[in-house]
Amino acid sequence: MENHPRNPVTFVTAGLLLVIFILMLFAFQVRTTEVAVVTTFGRISRSLTEPHLYFRWPWPIQSVYKFDNRVQNFERKFEETTTRDAINLLVTVFAGWKVADPERFLQSLNGDPLKAEQNLEPLIRTAKNGVLGQTLFSELISTNQAELKFNAIESQMLASVQSQARETYGIDVLFLGLKQLGLPQSITTKVFDRMKAERQTRVRQFQTEGERDAQIIRAQADNLTRKTLADARATAIEITGSAEAKASEYYRVLQQNPDLANFLFQRNALEQALKDRATLILDQQTPPFSMMQGTPATSTNPPARR
Amino acid sequence: MIDPSLPPSPNPPAPPEPPAAAAQPRASAEDASSQALSEALRSSFAIVKFLMAGLVILFVGSRVFTVHPDETAVILRFGRPVGVGSQQYLAPGLHWGLPYPIDEIVRIPVGQSLTIVSTAGWYPTRPEWEATGQLPPAYPYLQPGIDGYTLAADGNIIHARATLKYRILPEQAGQYVFGFASPTNLLQNLLDNSLIYASTRYRADEAIYRDKLAFTERVRERLLELLDHHRLGISVDALDVETSAPLDVRPAFDEVLNAQQVARTRLSEAESYARSATNTAIAQANAIHIDSLTRSNEIVKTMAAEARSFQDQLPHHQANPQLFRQRLLLETMGRVLTNAQEKYFLPQRADGQPRELRLQLNREPQKPVPTR
Repeated sequence: MENHPRNPVTFVTAGLLLVIFILMLFAFQVRTTEVAVVTTFGRISRSLTEPHLYFRWPWPIQSVYKFDNRVQNFERKFEETTTRDAINLLVTVFAGWKVADPERFLQSLNGDPLKAEQNLEPLIRTAKNGVLGQTLFSELISTNQAELKFNAIESQMLASVQSQARETYGIDVLFLGLKQLGLPQSITTKVFDRMKAERQTRVRQFQTEGERDAQIIRAQADNLTRKTLADARATAIEITGSAEAKASEYYRVLQQNPDLANFLFQRNALEQALKDRATLILDQQTPPFSMMQGTPATSTNPPARR
Repeated sequence: MIDPSLPPSPNPPAPPEPPAAAAQPRASAEDASSQALSEALRSSFAIVKFLMAGLVILFVGSRVFTVHPDETAVILRFGRPVGVGSQQYLAPGLHWGLPYPIDEIVRIPVGQSLTIVSTAGWYPTRPEWEATGQLPPAYPYLQPGIDGYTLAADGNIIHARATLKYRILPEQAGQYVFGFASPTNLLQNLLDNSLIYASTRYRADEAIYRDKLAFTERVRERLLELLDHHRLGISVDALDVETSAPLDVRPAFDEVLNAQQVARTRLSEAESYARSATNTAIAQANAIHIDSLTRSNEIVKTMAAEARSFQDQLPHHQANPQLFRQRLLLETMGRVLTNAQEKYFLPQRADGQPRELRLQLNREPQKPVPTR
């Protein structure tokens, strides 16, 4: 039989395939978003929390269980609860959790996130009902912000869940908050009625207050107007009075011949009064028409008009 | 197969035995077919080798990748990010990684504006309704789980919806992608939480119209606080908060708004009247004041002039009072009669009886209005 020379490519290819096969059997990766637990013949031998390439014995000697190590989102629908002052509320909470202890997570929940949420749900429900059962409605919803304990309520719920989730399931509940607040359906009808009644009251309030305020403003303006004018008139009277007083100093001159003074005043007054658009009806007694005294007049002639 | 070009053998071949003579051409035929098969296989191997080389090149070449301008990328080598801190984020451009499963390329859309809408407090609606502004039917109750709403500080029910536009921070992109299984759901929960946190602090009227800006700002503050606490690795581009009264109660809210508007109008009118009246009064007061000053000045000056005139005329009067008076009177009558608009002279009746004079007084005729 003839010995053919071996092709080196064949060797390299075979070698590569062998390495890949061996790596597949003996190595595995833990991604940055994962943690892993390695079991040897079913018994937990180590937990891996750092992302890297790790080696293992092949199945059935060792098995690798990987879990998502990212923060998982948990939320449920509306659930009814009662506050300390017996008010029924509908509350939705949300939470964020992640695997804190991979070994316990595997042992208690078989590494199943769905089971984790199923087991987390009653814990959170108990915490929510417990904390809200000790909370007054006004500590959750109030116009007085000093009464509100929103953050404290969330912190209390979180604290009451954290230790049990960690110890029992190897889960770290990182945060817990309120997502939705509501009221039972029958209560919403009553709230609507109350809201309508409140709005009607506000309408009346606006109507009466608006009218009242407008009247007050008008009255204040009228008062101010009257006061301003009265002040102005008083000042004017004072000014005129002082002027008259000053003018009266000249009366001493007039007192030399009061008869002449009166005559001159009357003449001025007459001239001033008849200065504009005057209609005069004169007879023969009035100078200078007194010059016409004795002139005959016919009764049929109308008064002469100039 | 015998080549006919070969020279004939010097020794004549012995006559073949009948079976051997039959096997000779069959063997030749098998050699030929084997050779052909071998050549075919050889050429097939060459093709396979070529294809394999091509596949290897393609496999290696597939690890060359482009990071687009609106994204960054992280290489996970054996599951762990390559690089530390901000060095692990690849800038836009051409990059190369080792073949899978050694390297895994994770792309993160850091440049894109992403949107999250919190509808836990909003009434059920549809995109086509939103587009046309159509509202769902109003009922005198709300069904939990179907109708979204929240509670205001005064115990009223309101609808509230928040729309968040955000970007993944390039320097914290790994936290967003590798830290949270569902960052968008978490973000929506945080937005819901911020909405109800703010709604429990504001009355319905305040949240819906009177202090909506402050309400929105409160939602933003709470959201930023939560984002900072959870280190989600995003930046907020814009936050829009809508609030609304429940549809069944909305007419009552509208009535309040109308009443408020009417009250404001009344106040505005009253204030306008007050301003006008006050200004008019101030103007009148000023006029009165100026008038009084003018008049006082006039009184004093007139009196002074009268006194001077009197002083001047007194000697003439004393000389002949009758003549002096008569002269002044006639001068005055002359001016008066000249200035008078209408003058009537009633001559004395012949019989000496007084005349009866009747006057008809009419209103002053209106001035004609110019027509256009």
